Amino acid sequence: MKSSLTFHKVIVGLLVMYLLIPLVGTFLFSIAGKWDHTILPESYTMDWYIELFQDERFYDAFRRTLFLIVMSVGLSVVIMLPTIFIITVYFSKWEGLLQAAAMLPYGIPPIVGAVGLIKVYSDGPIQIAGTPWILIGAYFITILPFMYQGIRSSLRTINAVQLVDAAELLGATKFQSFRTVVFPNIISGILVSTLLSVALLFSEFAFANLLVGGRFETIQIYLADKLNSSGHLTSAIVITYYSMILLLTGIVLKLTFRNEKNPVGSNKKRILSFFKKKYCNKNTAIEGEK
Amino acid sequence: MSYVTINQVTKGYENQVVLNDISLTLKKGEFATLLGQSGCGKSTLLRSIAGLEGVDVGRILIDGHDITNLSPRQREVGMVFQSYALFPNMTVFDNIAYGLKMKKVKNVKSKVKNMIDMVDLIGKEESFPHQLSGGQQQRVALARALVMEPKVLLLDEPLSALDAKIRKSLQKELKRIQKELDITTIFVTHDQEEAMTMSDRIFVMNKGKVVQSGSPSEIYTSPVNTFVAKFIGNYNVCNMEVFHKLVRSTELKGNEVAIRPEVLQLVSVGEDSLDIQENWGIKGFIKDVSMTGNVLRYEVETEESAFLVDYLHHRGEMFEQGARVQILVPKKECIIL
Ligand SMILES: Nc1ncnc2c1ncn2[C@@H]1O[C@H](COP(=O)(O)OP(=O)(O)OP(=O)(O)O)[C@@H](O)[C@H]1O
Ligand SMILES: [Mg+2]
Repeated sequence: MKSSLTFHKVIVGLLVMYLLIPLVGTFLFSIAGKWDHTILPESYTMDWYIELFQDERFYDAFRRTLFLIVMSVGLSVVIMLPTIFIITVYFSKWEGLLQAAAMLPYGIPPIVGAVGLIKVYSDGPIQIAGTPWILIGAYFITILPFMYQGIRSSLRTINAVQLVDAAELLGATKFQSFRTVVFPNIISGILVSTLLSVALLFSEFAFANLLVGGRFETIQIYLADKLNSSGHLTSAIVITYYSMILLLTGIVLKLTFRNEKNPVGSNKKRILSFFKKKYCNKNTAIEGEK
Repeated sequence: MSYVTINQVTKGYENQVVLNDISLTLKKGEFATLLGQSGCGKSTLLRSIAGLEGVDVGRILIDGHDITNLSPRQREVGMVFQSYALFPNMTVFDNIAYGLKMKKVKNVKSKVKNMIDMVDLIGKEESFPHQLSGGQQQRVALARALVMEPKVLLLDEPLSALDAKIRKSLQKELKRIQKELDITTIFVTHDQEEAMTMSDRIFVMNKGKVVQSGSPSEIYTSPVNTFVAKFIGNYNVCNMEVFHKLVRSTELKGNEVAIRPEVLQLVSVGEDSLDIQENWGIKGFIKDVSMTGNVLRYEVETEESAFLVDYLHHRGEMFEQGARVQILVPKKECIIL
């Protein structure tokens, strides 16, 4: 028992090192001055970060990325939340169809999807190929599985169908029951899937590059472009970028954790299923990131 | 004059009929129980009355109004769900006040206060549902339904998630509140004991049909068929031919005979106290003895079939396993099915 614990610790330790060394290396490189033939840099400097944060292009790219993400995630919440709610509560026999549709994006590689999208939208009635709008569309689809899973499992966890039944019997209209008893109980679940989607889109490159590329320079494309210039600068960008994603993930984890500590459930069984659901949530999220 | 009328209601899901031509009526203030095995359609009937489920055929009337096609919020029906369905984001007070606020009623505060008083939850007003025990959650659910002064109160196995002791005390309390408010109530359970203690009237359901209705004692003492006999009182049900053979008499006619376990008596073989006028005798031996609290239950094996015999658990006198005995069957207690 004890030896197997040490064994586990060693494995985890190795894994953490394997994951962290490149990151630490990149970080050191981003603050290194001269670093040729020593193990650690000979001198340190913040010049690269200063250069990065003084570059107008960086801010523009960041702003564009933010715009894309806010638009696609916002659109997704506004469209998917009522859709999933209505289907689970009132048309449960269509649930299978919705689920299949929501999972479809998993089956299409971004490259294939991008080529198809460019073909379809470069002529015909909707000519949006090369504009940010096509990217927003593609991103909407990319995050569909997360939004779907997140929202649906939140609804399941609180047993939304029964809450709506109870509220309606007490005289609430359908909309009132959604607003007063369903929405407040799933808001933190929605926040988690939203933030996960944001983190995912932040690191999305294939669609961004293929669909708009240099015409609408996002942070990803900016990064790719800078890869060819100074290595130090690139490292600084990577670290900045990584910190932002880390921050986002941290918020997600914190929210999830807070929910688990203070569950909205009313009995033990519910808490258990809540944990399970949350666990599934994370799983799908991780799968999606691969 | 009936207050609730359910008239020939039929409902099915894809390929299965769940409610099959159900008709029943209730008087105002009556406490009625739907009793039946799991899956026989009790919840479906309740949900149909509440309007949470539509019916395929038939009418539902409350207080003279046809409510068959009204939405749940227009029916003035209150319901307590098996898992309570309290709103997790609201305190006890807000849960109970919810319906009043939706209906924009005046004096919300005092009405809710009265209700909290009635269900004995003073001091818990600001607690959230997950901070309450099962029994307390149950009371909140009840208060939330009652504060709306519904015409009919529907209770779907409201006590089944609680342990035996709390259950007993909540049964009493529920009954007290129901009488106090004189509210017409339909209660669902699959526990016959619970049905017996609480109800004015019991509707026994089987496979989507009401098979018998009546007062608890009517149902208990004169079941109309084998299903009711077995489900309600652990009746000994015996095929008539077999019975003729056992008692060496063809006095009774019919298909089957049902006898309650507690009307049977046991005497040792040889001890001849058999009153031929009043009783039949069946020879057998004790196969098993079991005890459920104050009741001793003998399983007596005879040459054709086994009989259950219940005794109150007195001190002393007890038959050992394997003892040869004679069962005394009082003639007038035999029910022909
Ligand atoms: N939404 C549904 N779709 C299809 N079949 C259903 C649905 N709801 C219930 N049924 C079926 O209807 C039958 C009756 O269900 P119901 O819930 O009324 O049973 P019940 O008597 O309340 O049982 P229990 O005591 O277990 O609660 C069951 O056979 C069930 O499978
Ligand atoms: Mg049920």
